[in-house]
Amino acid sequence: MKEKTIKLLFATLAVATIWTSCKKDKDLVTVPQPVINESEVITTLKLTFVDSSNTSNIKYATFRDPDGDGGLGYDIFDTIKLEPNKTWLTTIILLNETVSPADTISNEVLEEGVDHLFCFSPTGTSATVTKTDLDANALPIGLQSKWRTTSTGLGTMQVELRHQPGVKDGSCTPGNTDIDVVFQTKIQ
Amino acid sequence: MYKVIAIIFLFLIQANLFAQSDTLCKSMLMGKIIDEHDKSSLEFANIYIVELQKGGVSDSKGFYKIENICDGSYTVKISHVGCTTIETKIIVKGKTNKTFYPEHHAEILKDVEVIAKKPIEQTTQTKNDVSDEKLNQSKGQSLGDALKNIVGVNSLNTGNSISKPIIHGMHSNRILILNNGIRQEGQQWGVEHAPEIDPFIANKLSVIKGANSVRYGSDAIAGVVIVESKPLRDSAGIGGEINLVGMTNGKAGTTSVYLDGNFNRLKAFSWRVQGTLKQNGTVSAPNYILVNTGLKEYNFSYTLGWIKQKYGAEIFYSQFNTTLGIFGASHIGNLTDLQKAFDSPVPLETGAFTYKIGRPYQHIEHELVKFKAYFLTGEIGKLSIIYARQYNLRYEYDKHKPLNNSLEALNRPELQFELTTHTADIIWEHNRIRNVSGSIGISGMTQGNTYEGRTLIPNFRNNNGGIFWIERWKKNKFEIEGGIRYDYKRVQIYKYQYVGNATYELITPVHVFENATGNIGAIYKKDSTLNLSINFGSAWRAPSVNELYSYGLHHGAAALEYGDNTLISERTYNAIFTVHFIPSKKINIEISPYIHYIQDFIYRQPAPSPLLTIHGAFPAFYYKQTDATLKGIDFYSNYKINRSFEFTGKASILRAWNKKENDWLIMMPSDRYETELTYRFKTYKKINSSYLSASFLYVTKQSRVPQNSDFVAPPSSYYLINLHASFSIKIKNQNLEFGVSVFNVSNKSYRDYLDRFRYFTDAMGRNITFRVKVPFNMGFKSKSISNNN
Repeated sequence: MKEKTIKLLFATLAVATIWTSCKKDKDLVTVPQPVINESEVITTLKLTFVDSSNTSNIKYATFRDPDGDGGLGYDIFDTIKLEPNKTWLTTIILLNETVSPADTISNEVLEEGVDHLFCFSPTGTSATVTKTDLDANALPIGLQSKWRTTSTGLGTMQVELRHQPGVKDGSCTPGNTDIDVVFQTKIQ
Repeated sequence: MYKVIAIIFLFLIQANLFAQSDTLCKSMLMGKIIDEHDKSSLEFANIYIVELQKGGVSDSKGFYKIENICDGSYTVKISHVGCTTIETKIIVKGKTNKTFYPEHHAEILKDVEVIAKKPIEQTTQTKNDVSDEKLNQSKGQSLGDALKNIVGVNSLNTGNSISKPIIHGMHSNRILILNNGIRQEGQQWGVEHAPEIDPFIANKLSVIKGANSVRYGSDAIAGVVIVESKPLRDSAGIGGEINLVGMTNGKAGTTSVYLDGNFNRLKAFSWRVQGTLKQNGTVSAPNYILVNTGLKEYNFSYTLGWIKQKYGAEIFYSQFNTTLGIFGASHIGNLTDLQKAFDSPVPLETGAFTYKIGRPYQHIEHELVKFKAYFLTGEIGKLSIIYARQYNLRYEYDKHKPLNNSLEALNRPELQFELTTHTADIIWEHNRIRNVSGSIGISGMTQGNTYEGRTLIPNFRNNNGGIFWIERWKKNKFEIEGGIRYDYKRVQIYKYQYVGNATYELITPVHVFENATGNIGAIYKKDSTLNLSINFGSAWRAPSVNELYSYGLHHGAAALEYGDNTLISERTYNAIFTVHFIPSKKINIEISPYIHYIQDFIYRQPAPSPLLTIHGAFPAFYYKQTDATLKGIDFYSNYKINRSFEFTGKASILRAWNKKENDWLIMMPSDRYETELTYRFKTYKKINSSYLSASFLYVTKQSRVPQNSDFVAPPSSYYLINLHASFSIKIKNQNLEFGVSVFNVSNKSYRDYLDRFRYFTDAMGRNITFRVKVPFNMGFKSKSISNNN
């Protein structure tokens, strides 16, 4: 081979290297992805209590962290206030309010009911919780429940959403935590 | 130049022609070692006959003499401070006289890389290499694991597959990694982000300890890790090497191959291609399997060189691709989950062995392309121009699949970063003029980061420029080196900030950092037994984007991290003093005390109480600045008891103090002590370089930690026993190498303070590795050589 040919080959390879090496050069630095992306965020946990004896008697309790985890802290953190000696039909709604209009995440939880379980742990209050909805495997989910209140008192109620893909057995132990909020609770 | 090639070829050919003669072993090799540049005699140059493990040192006039050797053909290594070691074949017959020109070889025969690295080779700073033996033993492991063989170097691990080097207690952005002469630019800020480099690229791994900003720009506060490829082939022919590694733990297999060549009709052109495939399944701790710890990696690179005496050019291209599972039980929902995971005697998730990688996992790609050209500027110096582009892609997949089915079907990473970096350097080096040699250069960089998915690091554009000047004076027993540098760095952030009511606003703050820096060092070589060096350095590091703008939940770390955009640059002042004492050929001792005083040291300060999110409570950390001192001692000793037995002892001790808080600094390595006993067998027929070794590593408990700053207390001290055995068989002038290593022989359950998975699991159990190295070489008979013959 002539030296010139090799030089040419070398130069060609050099150019070819630049040409082929550029693995998707994304130089769109100045146009960041807006935060309104499709990754899922749960900002809001909303509890709605309907008095079974009087359906116009409705109570609400909400926890809201409007920009998701981190960043700014929560802006709404209600106390659950219920009357004693009643049965309350309780519904949980989960929202992603980082987008407008808000995305209802609880619908997704319902769809994937076989992987999810809500757990309610009262401390120092008389409310006893019975889950009323079932997943495809006839295990409770907890988006719908009945809360029975008896005596008056002050305490807390922990609302947990356990993510249990493939390991859901009806108990709260397996899996990891998707939601964990401890509400102040007043039965009066 | 051609004469030198011709001479070496002559030896090579003769080596094949002459059979080993059975005369009495009374022959002698003698001659002179001369610096090609100024034709001065080189004092204290080492000359070593590899096959005989015998050597000598040149005297003040450059003369050397090795007596009582048999006639035959040998491989000779000639090394000298400031020169790259050269290795050549020679024939000894009776009283043989040979003169060597080490620097001549370094300049012309080796690839261009050597010349660019000369300032490092001659540094007054403490530089340590991973020995060839240790490099071989760590084949199949990560780069971080290989570097741990250097005293004073540790690794910050995330399980078994992610390992980051730590020098004198500092890591990530405080260490610079030079991959084939290029600053490695990746997502270095994350503790679970390992350097994106194929360890098989490295023919040589070394670490320069101490501030080194002058030559390489900001960030190298703690030191520099240098990854060097084998020089390109300089003799006609085609050669290569096949490496096979198998490991019992994780049933891992690694294959790495390279081929290189040079044509005798076109001496200037050399090439090499290299590739590595690696896979392992789930690894095991002594008592259980670590779910989802599989790994798949494929890497390749090629190098083309056009090397003439007065000019040259080189192209280097490499690609690194890995997909690695993250131990499932380590991804947790909140502080309660973490406590549960820690309290459980076995991990909350267990399973069976598999090669399958499930969520959570990372996929990482890194691509480097480098162009380099150099030409001699007359007799006095050399000008080099280097351009490189790097592209780093990181996909991180959470454990939790998206709830939305259509999103789940897309299987997109929850976190995605792309970092593209362009660097350019122009360096002029001048040869020794009246005992002074040096270099001057400018460098520039532009880097862009984009993200998709969850926000952790905003988009940014980082532009850097720097100018440096290093000079070195050398006369007789003294060497003095000094350098200065100025840098300018501008970082523009593009970030959406929450302003309420589901609306975000784009903010584009700019941060400008500029600094001057310098260092000065000296070496005093009393004689062949004592070598003292001292180096004072200063370096700086601008706060990284995560330290400025973190604002959220770090899932892998189960912590809320808050950056501070008012942080200023860190500045370090350090002093390293090294005593290298070689009282006899049998004893070799290196003691290196050091101190780093760092102004405005950036660290994570835990908040007094956890913060509440919809997922429950999380500990919160704020990036803060303090003044810190990191001081310690690195100690290395080697004693050749007799022809067979060799003892090595190593110790590294560090104390790191937070001056403003008046407390210890968190996440600092505890003291390590290692001893190793090696037995070397004599060469038996074709079997050579055989040895057996046992090493004992003792790591103390890190008791020097700030109170209430960690989820759990540091783990207890532990010891590990490792065994190594290796031998080579010479077939057709090539050494086939076989090796076996047993790591953690006693299958001990232990947790290391610097392993992030220590909260969840014991470290990996016993691992037996098997290695085979098959080199091959087909030399072409060169026309020019035949003519000379």
